[in-house]
Amino acid sequence: MTKLVINRRHLLKTGAAGTGLLAAPAYLRSTAARASGVVNVWTYANFIPDDFKAEFEKETGIQIQIRLVDDQGKQFNLLAAEAPDPSTDIVTVAGHRFLQFISSDLLAPLDTDRLKNWGNINPIYSESDWATINGNKWGAPILSGMEILAYNTEVVSEDEVKSWDVLFSEKYSGQTAYTIQDMMSVVMLYKGYDGNMVAYMDDPEKAAEIVGEARDFLIEKKPLVRKYYDAGAEVQQMFINQDITLAHAWNGPIAKLITDGFPVDMTIPKEGTYGFVYTLNIANNAPNADNAYKLLDALLANSEVGARMTQSSGFISTYKGADQYLSDIEKKASSFTEEELAGLQFFRAEANELKYKLVDPAVEEIKAA
Amino acid sequence: MAHAESDTADLGKASAPGGRMNFWGALLQNGAYQTLSNTLFKTQRRQFVMLASLPLLWIVFANLGPIVEMFWIGFLDSYPPKVGYEPKLTFANWAAFFQDRVFIVPFFRTLAFSLIFTVITLLITYPVAYFLAKHVKRKNQLLFLLLLLIPFWVGEIVRTYAIMILLGNNGAVNLVLKSLGLIDRPIPFMYTGFSLGVGIIYLTALYMLLPLYSALEKIPDNYLEAAADLGAGAWTRFRRITLPLSKEGIASGCTLVFLISTGYYATPVLLGGPRSTVFAETIAGFFHVAGDQWPMGAAFSSIMLIATLAATGIFLKLMGRGGKGMIR
Amino acid sequence: MTRHTRIVMSVVYWAFVIYLFVPLALMVTMGFKDSKFIGFPIRAWTFDWYATVMQDTQVLAVFGYSMAIAVSTTVLSLIIGTWMATFLGPNMFRGKAIVFALACLPAVIPGIISAIALRIFARLIDIEPGMLAIILGHTVHNVPFVALVVMARLSTQPKSHIEAARDLGADSIVAFFRVTLPYLKPALIGAGIFCMLLSFDDFVRAFFLGGYQPTLPVLIFAKLRSGMSPEINAISTIVLIMTAILGLWAERSMRRLNKGS
Repeated sequence: MTKLVINRRHLLKTGAAGTGLLAAPAYLRSTAARASGVVNVWTYANFIPDDFKAEFEKETGIQIQIRLVDDQGKQFNLLAAEAPDPSTDIVTVAGHRFLQFISSDLLAPLDTDRLKNWGNINPIYSESDWATINGNKWGAPILSGMEILAYNTEVVSEDEVKSWDVLFSEKYSGQTAYTIQDMMSVVMLYKGYDGNMVAYMDDPEKAAEIVGEARDFLIEKKPLVRKYYDAGAEVQQMFINQDITLAHAWNGPIAKLITDGFPVDMTIPKEGTYGFVYTLNIANNAPNADNAYKLLDALLANSEVGARMTQSSGFISTYKGADQYLSDIEKKASSFTEEELAGLQFFRAEANELKYKLVDPAVEEIKAA
Repeated sequence: MAHAESDTADLGKASAPGGRMNFWGALLQNGAYQTLSNTLFKTQRRQFVMLASLPLLWIVFANLGPIVEMFWIGFLDSYPPKVGYEPKLTFANWAAFFQDRVFIVPFFRTLAFSLIFTVITLLITYPVAYFLAKHVKRKNQLLFLLLLLIPFWVGEIVRTYAIMILLGNNGAVNLVLKSLGLIDRPIPFMYTGFSLGVGIIYLTALYMLLPLYSALEKIPDNYLEAAADLGAGAWTRFRRITLPLSKEGIASGCTLVFLISTGYYATPVLLGGPRSTVFAETIAGFFHVAGDQWPMGAAFSSIMLIATLAATGIFLKLMGRGGKGMIR
Repeated sequence: MTRHTRIVMSVVYWAFVIYLFVPLALMVTMGFKDSKFIGFPIRAWTFDWYATVMQDTQVLAVFGYSMAIAVSTTVLSLIIGTWMATFLGPNMFRGKAIVFALACLPAVIPGIISAIALRIFARLIDIEPGMLAIILGHTVHNVPFVALVVMARLSTQPKSHIEAARDLGADSIVAFFRVTLPYLKPALIGAGIFCMLLSFDDFVRAFFLGGYQPTLPVLIFAKLRSGMSPEINAISTIVLIMTAILGLWAERSMRRLNKGS
């Protein structure tokens, strides 16, 4: 097979040159990713503030090239398509997707000894058990998010949202929305199972049974739902347009609605929920790994950067002391009561292969039902 | 078709004796060019080869390259390659499609949606194109056309969000209806077939409009006038003259809209309801949500590809002569 | 043309215009809303979003970059697509249906698949991600549309046209440029507009094939992540005004060109 590939590759090269595709002048080509004074970052809009960037570039002489990304899946695909020679040094990954990136060999283990500001991260995140995989740390936590129950405070009372039950009640029929993929985990938890499926790693039959139960539940409740959505911006718009009054969502997008003064609030119901953490990671075989470490360290040194990331995304900063840069309403929108937080546990990646092999087809079945 | 054309009228200038020698005339007189032209176009065969060169090269390198790649990935059991794992050949990805109605339902739903949207778009845009081509003064036509095109310069996503705040429970339409006292409770337009249709036709109208316009535009007015003189009513004139002569415009417009609408992703996802999952969403799921299922996504895309091409082929066959103009 | 049909037609046309422009008007209006999110009710108005966008040099740079890509893509697609159509249209040969189907393929592949396939392919032939790769990706996608539209027009061109030209001493190339090309003009304008739009509005190919300079849709998607803010509407409105001006200018100069010849 290799032979065929090589032949085709040769053929294609010749052909492309023949049609003049390669005859483009050098200036049309993008700035080389591998340059001494550069660090390449794939991250969300406004995560690296402009003034921080300018200061970092002035102090170190290293140019930061930011490539804006908008979701995890695309980032994974792009990195996978570029492997093993990525054009980036740093990527932004959600913690529970680590394993996918790691098993595809796309990330380099993080040497935390090279980050003297590692201690600025709240140890709940930096030293938590989910963060260590295969004996290594893989990224610097920056933001913390979770699955929450959001509701319109003008329609739904605080007492009604103590349980995930309300999302499936006849009373709010046609006024609810959720993302199926995430809801599968929440429903498993709601039904008293381990939504991470770590407990069933040795018992695939039991795992399949549980996923089947969650799937059947969501299919049964399908007539009650207004919309299965995908993006945070969608759920925000649905609340604003009053298309829904109740939704499963992530704390970030809802926090942004709250700070803008919309009559929306969120809670963690008594059955509990799952949390996840966004991390900055160094790509495997990164062209400028040394610069990447310098940038990470500088980012961690400055808790105002943490606050900026919170203001941009609504998610909770992992930095110690980021709070002091937030307004009162921003603080309120990013905090939960002790009682609520007691039900929070993190997504874990160990059983992902087992879990998603079952959950992905179930999601398709729910959509097609 | 033997109608006289004004287009040929200025040709004479190119080589008219005694006329002003223009660029083309000079070119034809040029010795070096004559030699080149003679070598390149000496025989029919050579001319054919010349004409075929670039298109075939392009098809092989730009079209086939990526597609062969895609089909190939569809036969692998793992892609992108994992460390220390040699991908094996498998048919499982292709078989999965036929084994599960979970995939077949959105597949046929997509084909049906595309067909319906194509028909609706045709019905809506035909009068618009006709008005443009036949009722608007010739020198203003481009301006009127450009007017219609302005909204398309707003990206799909921004426009889709505008449709959301138009049709939402607290959207513009409901607010207007409420203030007029026509309704008490908002009408839930969003996340239904209706909102989906409003969004999709916005996207497809253009692809129908332009071919229709260019087909209608060249039907000579005197045909219709002659028919009217002979006593043909408006409907007869339309059925016997306008419709047959715009057939190739209809064929290419419908082909375009059908082909493009099978691939729509963002608009159905944003405007559709829980019961309108399209196949592109299923395929994207293999890439977005479960990022390590490229082979399955590739196989499914290939299936979609073959199906849409087959459907288009059948359609063009049905269109008969109009279609034959495109594939002989 | 009876008066009756004329009135009906113009009503349909203007109803269609309203359908197209209402969402547009909403979008423009929302750019003035004093809130982080678009939607009703609008409690307060502001010019801040427009001011922010005007001061942001990135938006202008991104617009220029997207325009440059769209224009280059359009020129390339028109050349290749027209060539493809003149080859596939009138000629008869064995396997034509297959060649035709292959030529149409890129138009039907879902964006995400073709984007990833092209990304891998671009690496195979050593094109770095960036402007060139995006142009290649968009051109691959657009050529079938040009070919389809041009072929439709070509199929109605009377044979006598070319024959007349040949009788007058023109060879194939001159006959093509003097007779066929002018005949194709409406189709080429239509196809050109397609290409510009397809390229200008494409997100997924631009994302996968692009480098560190974002195109307009890539920028908007990135901004959308933190919510559908009036800022995005302000960007779109400004872009719309700029494209409208460009379009009018192009239409005018085309008119002048027509008068000149």
